[in-house]
Amino acid sequence: MKKEELKNQEYKYGFTTDIENFKAPKGLSEETIRFISKIKNEPKWMLEWRLKAFNRLKVLKEPNWQKPKYPKINYQDLYYYSAPKSMKDKPKSLNEVDPKLIETYNKLGIPLNEQKRLSGVAVDAVFDSVSVATTFKGELDKKGIIFCPISEAIQKHPELVKKYLGSVIPLSDHYFATLNSAVFTDGSFVYIPPNTRCPMELSTYFRINASETGQFERTLIIADKGSYVSYLEGCTAPMRDENQLHAANVELVALDDAEIKYSTVQNWYPGDKDGVGGIYNFVTKRGACRGKNSKISWTQVETGSAITWKYPSCILQGDNSVGEFYSIAITNNHQKADTGTKMVHLGKNTKSKIISKGISAGQADNTYRGLVDIGAKAKNSRNYTQCDSLLMGNKCGAHTVPYIRNKNSSSTIEHEATTSKINEDQLFYCNQRGLNQEEAVSLIVNGFCKEVLQQLPMEFAVEAQKLVSISLEGSVG
Amino acid sequence: MEQLFNIDFKRINSSNDKEAADRKKNFELFLKRGLPNKKNENWKFSDLNYIISKNFKNIRNNDEYKLDEQIESIHDFDHNKVILVNGSLKSYDLNFEEKEKVKIETLKSLEDFHDQSKNNLDYLNKALSIGGFNLEVQQNYKCKKPIIIYNYFTANLNNKIINNSNKIKVSQNSELTLIEYNIGEKSKFVKNTFEKIYIDKGAVFKNIILQKKKFNGYFYKNISGIQDYNSSYQNFILSSGLKFNKIEIDMILEKEKSSCHILSGLNLSKEEHQEIKTQINHLAPNCKSYQKIKNVLESDSKGVYQGKIFVKDIAQKTDAYQLSKALILNDQAEFNAKPELEIYADDVKCSHGSSSGSIDEEAIHYLMTRGIEFREAKKLLIKGFLNEIFDNIPEEKIRTFLEKSIAVQIDEIR
Repeated sequence: MKKEELKNQEYKYGFTTDIENFKAPKGLSEETIRFISKIKNEPKWMLEWRLKAFNRLKVLKEPNWQKPKYPKINYQDLYYYSAPKSMKDKPKSLNEVDPKLIETYNKLGIPLNEQKRLSGVAVDAVFDSVSVATTFKGELDKKGIIFCPISEAIQKHPELVKKYLGSVIPLSDHYFATLNSAVFTDGSFVYIPPNTRCPMELSTYFRINASETGQFERTLIIADKGSYVSYLEGCTAPMRDENQLHAANVELVALDDAEIKYSTVQNWYPGDKDGVGGIYNFVTKRGACRGKNSKISWTQVETGSAITWKYPSCILQGDNSVGEFYSIAITNNHQKADTGTKMVHLGKNTKSKIISKGISAGQADNTYRGLVDIGAKAKNSRNYTQCDSLLMGNKCGAHTVPYIRNKNSSSTIEHEATTSKINEDQLFYCNQRGLNQEEAVSLIVNGFCKEVLQQLPMEFAVEAQKLVSISLEGSVG
Repeated sequence: MEQLFNIDFKRINSSNDKEAADRKKNFELFLKRGLPNKKNENWKFSDLNYIISKNFKNIRNNDEYKLDEQIESIHDFDHNKVILVNGSLKSYDLNFEEKEKVKIETLKSLEDFHDQSKNNLDYLNKALSIGGFNLEVQQNYKCKKPIIIYNYFTANLNNKIINNSNKIKVSQNSELTLIEYNIGEKSKFVKNTFEKIYIDKGAVFKNIILQKKKFNGYFYKNISGIQDYNSSYQNFILSSGLKFNKIEIDMILEKEKSSCHILSGLNLSKEEHQEIKTQINHLAPNCKSYQKIKNVLESDSKGVYQGKIFVKDIAQKTDAYQLSKALILNDQAEFNAKPELEIYADDVKCSHGSSSGSIDEEAIHYLMTRGIEFREAKKLLIKGFLNEIFDNIPEEKIRTFLEKSIAVQIDEIR
């Protein structure tokens, strides 16, 4: 792709869709929460749970230790619920869904219809706050797998929701997580029964459409004993001048011998070249390896958002459990990313691996912040961490802030980090063989990220590779 | 609740009324904020408020500086002697050096310490500082022998606090090796020291901090320095044996081609807690910094390393390296590290590594198959682990002396 073409291709997901939205009254209050709960037709226990979170929120303060600073968010000036109007009576099949919505998804490239069957992806698309339709339900039903919007799960599987919701991210965790607990509107719910291997990759697509809304989705994935699931999450948002807030909570629970693989390609609107607009992506993602021999693996490709602030974490409770974190964070122009992971080793023989690749260009700031904590009882545990940063130009920054705690004589922690720029020799080599500067950089960066990219499922890997190139456009030569 | 501090300002000499008023003002400021605790990011791994409150109450300031016994000198190599008693300059003997080339006196003014207000301990220090030493090496003079500061603490310091401040200036093209040798008696006390270092163009300053034997000291030392063009700073921290010790180093590599080395080998045993916190600021191109921190942790000891490398956007061609390694010998022991990089220049080589774990079983096995007893094998490996730190000391006599001191500590390991 030529440079000029790249330039014109700023943010291809930046279209808005003209769909009438049905919104909750502006502002954060008990009424708003009651409104959300009512419109979702929630049982009483759910409303009480939300109100408990709201009460807790009143005494919590917004954290301010992070590297990227942002103007104060006026929580009273946001809409906490926004749904396409035509959805008020839920559609029963795809045919009933507003064609304009379908068109949006087609533009996004989500395989909502027949394409889906071909690619074998079951999608639970979250448009603003309501899941539009969940596909491939029948096939999953046969295996006893539950994959539905969380609002539906609250109605149909209250015992599971009650048992696991908030068990990994408690109500009083921190400001944004608690805010989410109080006002979350929708999200996905996955339950994999014992000894079942989910036959397809499950996928959600998030999109923020309406202006002045925050998106607060909540995802809960439970992998019962001996099961396996791979879950994909993709995100986009239209271009708007104002900053939009996205504060999601994702909870994963892996029981004995279960494995969850969670992959994200995050491509929210990053703001324009001068740093106006863009999404604030303040997400809490946490997984608990509760059972023995369980495994949780996070893979993320973060290319969008004005500010990304998230730390997908693993709590390794079960003996022999494994936590993995693979991340690419690319920041360009005025983007800021403060991301990393937490690996908390509690069980014996637990292992964790962290591979983080940060790339900064333009005036961006990219921070890796992570914690590895091996407790006194976590005998024979191991951690390996590698975080590499690549800088392009001297107006951007790359930072590494790892916290390493070892309270055990039989456990080993290894940490490595490097910061450098693109090797001139490699560039020269590529140029010599006829690649232009832009192509050469793209090739080298993809190579730099390879370790992470190869962790992604096929459908995402291709998209992610393209994103890596697009995100860095105009940053070289 | 009984108050933690019981300070008598009449017992501190102030040169004038303004100074006396300033001291009180600073003390008020200190009391308002209290001792730093773990809510403070800098003190996350070492909660000073908790540690001091647990071990002390009714802390008084010291005003006795009488040497109560003869100090045993080091005979391993020739050196100049400076004697500090309870933080205050007592006497000195710079016989190996040319006259007027090296000057030392009691620090009279805290002028150089005005611009800093890094933490609450700075207020405390300004309120109660009794001075310390002011050492200056003249231009183009390379000291012939190292200077040893016999930092002696008397036996009557129980429940007292010592605050002092030192200033060291190593002028253009000069060289100095300074060994701080801490000797303490039985008393249990707190020390809070601020030190300012200026290393001018082409100057070389080597600093070694060593502990003679274990004693009940709770130390905090803040070193901040500025380095000029092509200057070199090397600090070897070997201060094992204190109950609590935190050494905070903030170096500014202000001009090109300066280099900064911080190396530490600590061997901590029962109830010992040490922290090394560094911030190396690369403000000019072509500077180099190198940090290597090694900890051997026994019993319930706690080792902490917080290191930060900051590289300004114009500081291209920076070469910065950080390595922290810990050998954890007991399940009660703990090692915490936070090696941090903050980088704004692209053409740099910055890396850090950190590892912690137990002693290599295979190496032990190897040695035992060759007829070396388990305990000996373990000691041998620990020795090897720590001795690497001394490779950077070119003077053989000093190196041998340091190796000997460390060997004594390792012998105590069970």
